[in-house]
Amino acid sequence: MSVKADPNWEPKILAFCCNWCTYTGADLAGLNRMKYPANVRVVRLPCSSRVNPQFILRAFQKGCDGVMVCGCHPGDCHYATGNYFTRRRFMLMKRLLEYNGIDPQRFQARWISGSEAAKFRDTVTRVAGEIKALGPNTRFQEKWYEEGGEAQ
Amino acid sequence: MSDIQSALRETAKKLLTEGTVTCVIGWGETRFPDKTTPIFVKTPEDAEKLVWNAHCVCGLAKYMLDNRCPEGKLAICVRGCDSRAVNRIVEDKQYKREDLYLIGLPCEGKDAPICATCTHRNPVVYDVLLGGPVPEIEVSQEDRFQAVTALEGLTPAEQYDYWQKQFSKCIHCYACRNACPACNCTECYADQYRVGWQGKQIDKAENQVYGLTRAFHVGDRCIECGECERVCPMGLPIMSQTRKILKDINDLWGNYECGLTDSRPHILGEFDLSDRDDFM
Repeated sequence: MSVKADPNWEPKILAFCCNWCTYTGADLAGLNRMKYPANVRVVRLPCSSRVNPQFILRAFQKGCDGVMVCGCHPGDCHYATGNYFTRRRFMLMKRLLEYNGIDPQRFQARWISGSEAAKFRDTVTRVAGEIKALGPNTRFQEKWYEEGGEAQ
Repeated sequence: MSDIQSALRETAKKLLTEGTVTCVIGWGETRFPDKTTPIFVKTPEDAEKLVWNAHCVCGLAKYMLDNRCPEGKLAICVRGCDSRAVNRIVEDKQYKREDLYLIGLPCEGKDAPICATCTHRNPVVYDVLLGGPVPEIEVSQEDRFQAVTALEGLTPAEQYDYWQKQFSKCIHCYACRNACPACNCTECYADQYRVGWQGKQIDKAENQVYGLTRAFHVGDRCIECGECERVCPMGLPIMSQTRKILKDINDLWGNYECGLTDSRPHILGEFDLSDRDDFM
């Protein structure tokens, strides 16, 4: 059955989280028993600058409905300057994706520190809501997925 | 123009006779009167085959990476765009500047559409300049980014539709990559089939991912020579992708043109603490 026809459809959101801030923030949200949508799949990375723009294209290709890149606030990077590069890179990437017809809500970047569990919860809840309203993503998707194949 | 052509032949002959260089890359005649082809001149006698006319449209700088003459220096005929391409390749540490001899040729524009928005008709770097400098033309930012601005005005659905139609034509010949002076990786990600970055099937998603990835790989180092669009057999508007990135760089971090020197770090390899931040 096609994914698009599913009435119980839930968005798949991939969140790239830096090990030192956002991942710890998400961990803290869990420790505090905060409730946030289960749509988000967290991928832990050493630094947000580890995220290659190709990862994002690949995520859309493989059936994600939204992608987030989260890292430490500028100035707080564990590796001193990593997220400054992330900032420049994804300012461009976001604009390029929008230029190619990806809705701006589908790709978001946020700075969330290790103590900002509530910000993590709020961001994820908001993003999940926005993407749910947009519906399933079909743009950039591989053929097997469009034809209703199961996610690998 | 014929004066410059004879001066070019003389220079090439002299360089090869004296042994300063072992090969001169220039343009040569083809069977068609309105086409030229890159040629590799290795003997003084062959210098007579070099031509300089309105049909010398091929970019020559990328041919230095073919390593056809591993011994000795290499001479390249450079127009404005080629000289920026040389800077690009030298800056990317793919070739040493001291192994090159650049024959500068001021260019009044060839019969290629990209020449209408060329801002550097005189070579920015050369060892010898043949003929006097030509006047530069003023190209406004609106003219430079005209195609991009038109596409930016569309809705996301229209934009996606446009690019999907364009990219569905792509046949994965990789001519854009092969001609691009900024695409100078020894091994391209698209060829690393075991890693699996890029599918080989002709499928609109794969084509779009290839187009976007290539645009992002070269976008911030693009010298706007227009080779990608010129060589594309399917007529894809590839420059509209790279120029979008250049336009955003201009908007976000100030005026930016690549390849004017061979030492400036590229824009994504540096940062400023006061950069604009949309991600708070």
